[in-house]
Amino acid sequence: MSTSSPSRFALVGREVARAVIALAIALLVALVVILATSADPAKAFSTLLTAPLSSNRTIGLWVDDVAKLTLTGLAFSLVFQAKQFSMGVQGQVYMGGLFAALVAMSPIGATPFAIPVAMAAAMCAGAVYGFMPGYAKARFGASEIVSSLMLNYIAILVVNYIIRAHLAPAGSGQLVTAKFPETAILPAIIPGTRFDLGIVIALAATVVVWFLLYRTNWGLKLRLVGHNAKFAEYSGIRSSFIMVSAMTLAGSFGGLLGAVFVQGRAFGNLAQNFDGNMAFEGILIAIVARNKPLAVPVVALAYGYLRQGAQLMGIRTDVPTEMISVVQAIIILLVASSFTLPGKKFIGRLMGRSQTATTAPEAAK
Amino acid sequence: MIELLMTVFSATFFVTVIRTTTPLLFATLGGLISDLSGALNVALEGMMLIAALTAVIVSVYAPWYVAVLSGISAGAMLGALMAFFHLRMKADIILVGFAVNILATGGTVFALAQATGGDKGTSINLPSKGVPSVDLSFLEAIPVIGRTLKSLLSGHSILSWLAVLLVFAVWYFLYRTPYGLWLRGVGEYPAAPEAAGIPVNKVRAWSLIASGALAGIGGAQLAMFNYIGFTRDMTAGRGFIALGAVLLGARHPVGAMLAALLFGVFEALAIVMPNLFNWIPGELIQTIPFAVTALALVLFSYRAQRALQRRNAAKA
Repeated sequence: MSTSSPSRFALVGREVARAVIALAIALLVALVVILATSADPAKAFSTLLTAPLSSNRTIGLWVDDVAKLTLTGLAFSLVFQAKQFSMGVQGQVYMGGLFAALVAMSPIGATPFAIPVAMAAAMCAGAVYGFMPGYAKARFGASEIVSSLMLNYIAILVVNYIIRAHLAPAGSGQLVTAKFPETAILPAIIPGTRFDLGIVIALAATVVVWFLLYRTNWGLKLRLVGHNAKFAEYSGIRSSFIMVSAMTLAGSFGGLLGAVFVQGRAFGNLAQNFDGNMAFEGILIAIVARNKPLAVPVVALAYGYLRQGAQLMGIRTDVPTEMISVVQAIIILLVASSFTLPGKKFIGRLMGRSQTATTAPEAAK
Repeated sequence: MIELLMTVFSATFFVTVIRTTTPLLFATLGGLISDLSGALNVALEGMMLIAALTAVIVSVYAPWYVAVLSGISAGAMLGALMAFFHLRMKADIILVGFAVNILATGGTVFALAQATGGDKGTSINLPSKGVPSVDLSFLEAIPVIGRTLKSLLSGHSILSWLAVLLVFAVWYFLYRTPYGLWLRGVGEYPAAPEAAGIPVNKVRAWSLIASGALAGIGGAQLAMFNYIGFTRDMTAGRGFIALGAVLLGARHPVGAMLAALLFGVFEALAIVMPNLFNWIPGELIQTIPFAVTALALVLFSYRAQRALQRRNAAKA
C-alpha cells in the first residue's frame, strides 16, 4: 500500500479538496434552505457556523460529539474496509450501553474498577452483536445488510423494554435509570463541561484500529479481502474468517461507543433511545475518511463541529436541527461519487476531446 | 392460546393482515425490480418515508388520488436521484441508498415542522385525507357464502386491490415482455445485454425509478390508509423488512407477495397480541416482525446455499 511520500501527499490533498468541495456545496444548499425557511436567515446561518465555539460548555459538547463520532466512524471503517456493509453499529451501541449500565449499577459500579469493567462488558456485548450478522453471512450467505438492520431494531426495542420495566426506578414512570455512582462516570478533563475521558478513549481506539489494519498480518489480510475477496481466497486467506472477525471487532467498538454514551458526562445513566440516531452518522465519517482510521478523528472533528452548530441552531433560532440531514446526505452523495472539479472537468474534456479527435476520430463519435 | 387462534381465524384479522401487508408488498415489488436489475435498493425505507409525508401534505390541498400520485412521483424522483449518483457519478449504490435514508429521517422531520408550524412529531394538525376503501356490500346478496365473502373482501383500500393487480403486472412485465427480459438480463450479466446493444444504464435507471415509484405508493398507503396522517419515523423499518422479503421471495413477484404476506401476518399479530396477552411487554411483541425477518432470511439463505451445493455436487 505504501507509495512514495510525494504521491501520498498528493492523494491526501486530493481527498481533502474533494471533501472540502463537497462540504462547500452542501453548505450552499443549507444556506438556500435556511434562506427559504427562516425569518432571520443571517442569524440562523451564523449560529450554524460559529455557535460551537461560543462558550466552554459548547466546546465541551462539540468534543463529546467528536469522541462518539470517531468511535462510530471507526466501527464503520472496519467493516467497510472488508467490503461488508454491516449496518449494525446502532444495535451494538444499545447492547453495549445496556451492559455498561448493568455493570455500573451493580456493586462493581461503586469501585474504582467500574469504568474498565463496564467498558469490557460493553465491548463483549457489542462484539457478540457484531458477530451474529457476520456469522450468518459467512455460514449461511444471509445478507449482512438486512440481518444487521433487523438486529438494530430488536436491540432498541429490547433495551427500551428493559429500561422501562426493570432498570428505571420503580414507580417513577420514568424512562431512564437512576444516575450511576460517580466512580462509574467518565471523569471530566475540563471540570463542568462534557470534555471527558471519552475523547481519550476514542483517540486510543483510533490508534488501535490503525495498528491492527496497517501493522498486523490480520490487517493486511483484511484489506486484501476488501480489495478482492476472490484473489485473497486464491492466495490462501480464509476470507470468511477475516470477514467475521472484522465484523466482530467492529462490533466491539460499537459496544465501546455504547459505554462511552451511557458513562459519559452527557448522560451518566441509561435512557431510552439514547443514541439519537448518531450511530448511523458513522457512515458519513467513514466514507469521507475513505475508511482510513487515522483520518476518522479529523473528519469527526470537522463534522462534529457542523453537527453541534446545527443542534445549537435548532435551539437558538427558528430553523430545526434536522435541516442538517440535507447537508449529511449531500456530503455522502458527493464524496461517494467520483465527481471532479467543474473547471478541471471542463479542461479535461477539452483536452480529452482534442486528443481523441486527433488519434481516433471514429471513437469520439 | 384459544383466544389467539380465534382471533387469527377471524375475518377482522384477515382484514388487518391485508392492511399491514399492502405497504410492505408495494415496497417489496419495488425492491424486487431494482434487485433484478442488479442494484440492491436499501433506500426503500427512506423513499417510503418521504413519499408518505409528501402524500399527507398534498392531501391537505388536493384530492386523495393527487396525493397518492405525488407520493409516487416523490419516490420516483428519489429513484432518479439514486440512478444519477449511482450510474453517472459511479457512487456505490448502498452508500447512495443510505444517503437517501439519512435525508429521509431528518428531512421529513424538518419538512413536517415547516408544514405544521413547529410540530416535529405528527401531522395531527393537518386535515389530511385518506385513501377510500372499496365497499363490496353487494356481495352479501350471494346466498350462503355472501356474508363471509363480504366480511373478507369489503373495506380494503383501493391500493390493496392495486397491489394484487401489480403483482401480476410485474410478473407479466418481467417474464412476458422484452423489456422485462432486458431488465433481468442486465441484472444477471450486464456484459451480454451490453453486447446485444441494449442500453444497460437506461434500463438500470428506469428500474430504480420504478422501484422508487412502487415504494412511493407503499408510503402513500401507509400514511393515507393504515394511519391517517404522518408520524415521525412511521415506516419503522418496513423498507428494510421489504428488502428481506425480496430475498425471501426467491426474487420472483409471486414469491415476493407471499413473503410480504408472511411479514404482514406477523405485523398483524404484533398489533392484535397486546390485547390478548397483556403480560407480554409491548416492546417484545414489536420485535416479532424484525426477528421473523432475520430468522427467515437466515433459513432461506441456508436452504438456497444447500441447493446450490447440491447442484454443484451433481455437476461434478
